[in-house]
Amino acid sequence: MSSSISTSKAEISYIQAGLLSDPPLRADGRGLHDFRAINLETGVAPLANGSAHLSIGKNPHGGGGGTEILAAAKLEVEDVDGRGEGVNGGRIVCAVSCSPSAYPHLSSSALDDLQQDMSTLLHQTLSHPSLHPPNLSIIPNKKSWLLNLDCVVLADAGNTYDALFMAARAALWDCKVPRTRAVEYKAPSNAPGAKVLESGEMDVDETAGDSAANQSGFDTRSIARAVDFELPDYWDEGEVLGGRDRWPVCVTMNAVAPAPASTSKTPWVHYLDAILQEEAATPLRLLLVFSFPPNSIPNLQAMRVLGSGELETAQIRDSVSSGEKFAQKMWDALNAKLKEEDLRRGQKARDRFARR
Amino acid sequence: MGSRVEILNDGGFRSDGRRQYELRDITIDLSPQGVADGSAILTHGLTQVLVSVFGPREAKMRSQTMHDRANINVEVAMAAFSTGERRKRSRGDKRILEMAATIKSTFEPVVQTSLYPRSQIDIFVQVLQQDGGLLQACINATTLALANAGIPLLDFVCAVTGGVHSTSPMLDLTLLEENDIPHVTVAVMPKTDKVTLVTMETRLHVERFEEIFRLAGQAGKVIHGEIKRAIRERTERLVTSMGSSTRVHGGEDDAMNEY
Repeated sequence: MSSSISTSKAEISYIQAGLLSDPPLRADGRGLHDFRAINLETGVAPLANGSAHLSIGKNPHGGGGGTEILAAAKLEVEDVDGRGEGVNGGRIVCAVSCSPSAYPHLSSSALDDLQQDMSTLLHQTLSHPSLHPPNLSIIPNKKSWLLNLDCVVLADAGNTYDALFMAARAALWDCKVPRTRAVEYKAPSNAPGAKVLESGEMDVDETAGDSAANQSGFDTRSIARAVDFELPDYWDEGEVLGGRDRWPVCVTMNAVAPAPASTSKTPWVHYLDAILQEEAATPLRLLLVFSFPPNSIPNLQAMRVLGSGELETAQIRDSVSSGEKFAQKMWDALNAKLKEEDLRRGQKARDRFARR
Repeated sequence: MGSRVEILNDGGFRSDGRRQYELRDITIDLSPQGVADGSAILTHGLTQVLVSVFGPREAKMRSQTMHDRANINVEVAMAAFSTGERRKRSRGDKRILEMAATIKSTFEPVVQTSLYPRSQIDIFVQVLQQDGGLLQACINATTLALANAGIPLLDFVCAVTGGVHSTSPMLDLTLLEENDIPHVTVAVMPKTDKVTLVTMETRLHVERFEEIFRLAGQAGKVIHGEIKRAIRERTERLVTSMGSSTRVHGGEDDAMNEY
């Protein structure tokens, strides 16, 4: 992982000693497992189906600094039948783009590499079948929705991965899928040679498209005749994206190795929400992406070890279980904020209006 | 949505309810973004642009430095969700490179680069929402960001688009209007009445050009008024909170001045 700032050996050793001391000392006085202030606003991109702007550690009252992510989910229609790239049931594609103003020291090729790394992780985690939303299909085997999740990193002050996944979850929570109605085309029913009814004969009902003569009573197939779809209400934002309780959150556990001089087997110290200098001083970190579906056990959706160094298996096992607790707290806090945002934007009123 | 939208109807109203010469709502936000030296978020109606300025600072690529001036580097990025139809534009997209080169050539004669030899000034433009008047918004936002960063400029640069619908000239066009009528983007330096950018990509009759060019120059001055007001307000607030001026808004800041 390229570090975007340069630090001296003295600074690195100072930060590491502070983290390992008892009580642990960090530059801004936080505890090892304390996060900086997180701000979230949904519905920031009116042209997108769902969007969110999240910042970690931004100075309050219109200050600067902090990590800022802008995420937006946009839906487009795809053909499923071989001509387009669509998949029956819809698909999700995630992309991250890093603004050069977030990384003023990086060259543009290093920036491309970094955004490719982030996109790959986000895409592989969120497009997994276990998280696939059920309502992305329009007409089975003909048309489906492609959901494009685009994230822009506007500023980076450390802990970008946690911010990315939180912003992605918020944008997907906010995403509305327009309601569609399938449309089929009927040929006009004055077929040449229509039967002329003699008096006394039964008046047989003609089924749509087929004359009664061709239709057998044994034919029990139900062939979907829908070839296209329409939006019954142009102004309707739609229904919420299905499975929005499952979108995961990420916890980055940065690892500090105990001082080599200590003889006893002191475990590695893990801390959360690192700033840029801390990330440069302790490059080894463990990314854990958890999903907490309601009424079910938590799922570990993705795990990555980043940076140079080695972790023992026992450490990873302990980290996963403690990471789950931190992720649960993050999950609860994020959900509370998302509900608050929905309230602020009058979502209930809009839903009632849409169903009028 | 069956009926065709009228660009200018009989009552003199445009498709978004404005009059012929009426400009869209302008909002300016000069609060700091990230670690940039200067930044600005400017909206013209529904077009929103964020510009961050870094510099003057040591150049990343020594090959591009000049011995007597600062090098201005402009990079434009468009968010994929900025338009109605999502389109991912790579950094090397020709339209984007052209826009960046246009912004650079607009500001080269305006920024006092001779004060900072062998250094670099980076201008990063991030387009958040597009609804017509993109180049105009980028130039106005860049002016604000440069002023916010404290980089010496000879004058403000204020840009506006103008177009002609049959014989009626119009100002500050939306996307709908830009797709329909010939239009030109003009950037002026209001104090000296000098024009630093004129660009047109559609066909416009020569007899119409003079009128629309003159109008756009006047509209640039109106935008200059807005930009000046925003910068003055922000500077006043900063100076007041630094406590180094006589209190402008009454005595609430008394406590802050007692060190």
